[in-house]
Amino acid sequence: MIDRLSLLVHIAARHLLVRRRQTLVATSGVAVGVGFFLAVSALMVGSQNDFVRQLIDVAPHITISDELRSPPPQPGVQAMPDGAVELHGYKIRNEVRGLKDWQRILASVSAIPGAVGSPSLSGAVTLRMGGRDEPLGIVGIEPGIEAKVSNVADKLRYGRLEDLERVQGGLIIGEDMARRLGRSKGDIVAATSANGSTRSLRIVALVKKGNSQLGGSTGYMLLREAQSLLGRPFIINRIGIKLSDAYAAQDVAKGLEATYGYKAESWQERSADFLALLLTRNVIMYTVVSAILLVASFGIYTAVSNSVADKRRDIAILRSMGFSQGDLQLIFVMEGLALACIGILLGWCLGWGLMQVLGSLEFSVGGDPQHIPLDQSPRQYLVAAAASLAAGVVAAWLPARKASRVDPVDILRGAV
Amino acid sequence: MSEEPVLIAHHLRRELAGDPPPVLVADADLAIMPGKFTAIVGPSGCGKSSLLYLLGLIDRPTGGQLLLDGHDLLTLSGDERAQIRLEHFGFVFQFHFLLPEFSALENVMLPLRRLGRLSPRAMKDRAMALLGEVGLAEKAGKLPERLSGGERQRVAIARALANNPRLVLGDEPTGNLDSVNSARVVDMFRDLAHNQGRAVVCVTHDPAIAEKADIRVTMLDGRVTEVRDQTGATQSATSAT
Repeated sequence: MIDRLSLLVHIAARHLLVRRRQTLVATSGVAVGVGFFLAVSALMVGSQNDFVRQLIDVAPHITISDELRSPPPQPGVQAMPDGAVELHGYKIRNEVRGLKDWQRILASVSAIPGAVGSPSLSGAVTLRMGGRDEPLGIVGIEPGIEAKVSNVADKLRYGRLEDLERVQGGLIIGEDMARRLGRSKGDIVAATSANGSTRSLRIVALVKKGNSQLGGSTGYMLLREAQSLLGRPFIINRIGIKLSDAYAAQDVAKGLEATYGYKAESWQERSADFLALLLTRNVIMYTVVSAILLVASFGIYTAVSNSVADKRRDIAILRSMGFSQGDLQLIFVMEGLALACIGILLGWCLGWGLMQVLGSLEFSVGGDPQHIPLDQSPRQYLVAAAASLAAGVVAAWLPARKASRVDPVDILRGAV
Repeated sequence: MSEEPVLIAHHLRRELAGDPPPVLVADADLAIMPGKFTAIVGPSGCGKSSLLYLLGLIDRPTGGQLLLDGHDLLTLSGDERAQIRLEHFGFVFQFHFLLPEFSALENVMLPLRRLGRLSPRAMKDRAMALLGEVGLAEKAGKLPERLSGGERQRVAIARALANNPRLVLGDEPTGNLDSVNSARVVDMFRDLAHNQGRAVVCVTHDPAIAEKADIRVTMLDGRVTEVRDQTGATQSATSAT
């Protein structure tokens, strides 16, 4: 078996070696296909991963808020769940806003290995200066814990999250808003809450531009100062949770929501629209790169097809000698396989080179130099190779089947 | 000589598709004897090559029987027929049909390697010995394009003998050779039959070769009209209906 295979490989190799030009064209076709497949998918997957990472990092993996997805069931419905009762126009009981039992929620979050929960209180204030009002969403946080849950600490300019604890009435706002207010670090702004209390706050740090989700119209304060400014002492209305595995967020969120009844939103739910967009993007990408690989396999088809046409005499003589139809088919399939393999190796080199070039490019986002995010994982190489191999085998198999069906009689008799 | 025939054709028939179907070989009866040089002669288009390809399992008959050592060959699958060709048959054609990318030695080794019963070393030794027998030992490494017509045909003969076949079939093997090379090939064929005990069957239109054959089979219009044992008297005169 091994002997037979090595003999067939030998014959296939000789065929390719005498047809160098065709061999070269076919392999470089595959190489270009594989190379650009790698470059394009590295770009697409890289930017997607980058984007998803931002989606994940921009806020906690799960946010538990004091909202309910549906109003609490009425006592009547609770007592008789199967009763054909429909209630209209009832008055919903007034409840104190905020997460009840939030310590218990925090405790059960801490029980999940690798998970951290950060309690916070958010509310609205108005920054007033020079007759102008700027609305601002205030988030009261515990800087030490919040830093573990969100990446706001990494996005600051001029200061650090811990400065909130050091400065009485410390406030962190976005760079753009600070510019609109004509204020900078160290300056004082006046904040008025909905219940009328006003306090002077000192800006201790700014959130960098380009992080609209974090710092667009949000300001950060110490939790207890926010509680007193908003007039809601000891109340928190949000728990941000960071997990060791971001992709478990959906399941964990579902569990927490089932246990406590409060809305627990995972990052997947929060970004469902973006994720759907990414899916479309992936479909487009794989359509395009598959087309590249498919076109590359046409080269293999042509090369093997020509080889079969050229070698009809050899096919006939090998058949008369006692080579089976399967032998002949295998010879030409292996020619295609060899072309594909050489092309894939060259394509890997080409793709690697393209990635190095793309990876070395630098451009600026919000004043910070950045590199194009690339996904250089071996998975891409394997996917490209597998797809080209499959296309190559099919492309070679069609003419190879023709080779095995050559009728030796006509050729041997009416030879050239 | 009471030797059994190695290959027996019984009412062997080959028709092409058509209405009425053109008949290439009509009900041929023939017994191929080991140790004999059989020549099939007849005018062009009489079906002698067609008969040879049927006997050599390259073509499939549309009727009749073909027995190798008494075993029916017509029920075999394509792969089984290929295996029998590999083990028992050696072909020499009018054109040498050497693979152009392979040296003389490599060409002779092809059937050996396909059969795969010897060690690589032994295969090479056998191929060299065969090339030596046809007087081409020193040209073993040459590509076919560097050999003369006569030399190529001798390499082809060496290749046909690679797996020590019991039947050697030739289709106008001297058709492209000058008289000197032609005579040499015919002598080889006689030697294969008489001294090595193989059954040699040769299609030819060259009367000189037909003269030297032990058995002369004459065909006309797809029929075997005469089988003459030239070592003695006429064996039989077949004229099937």
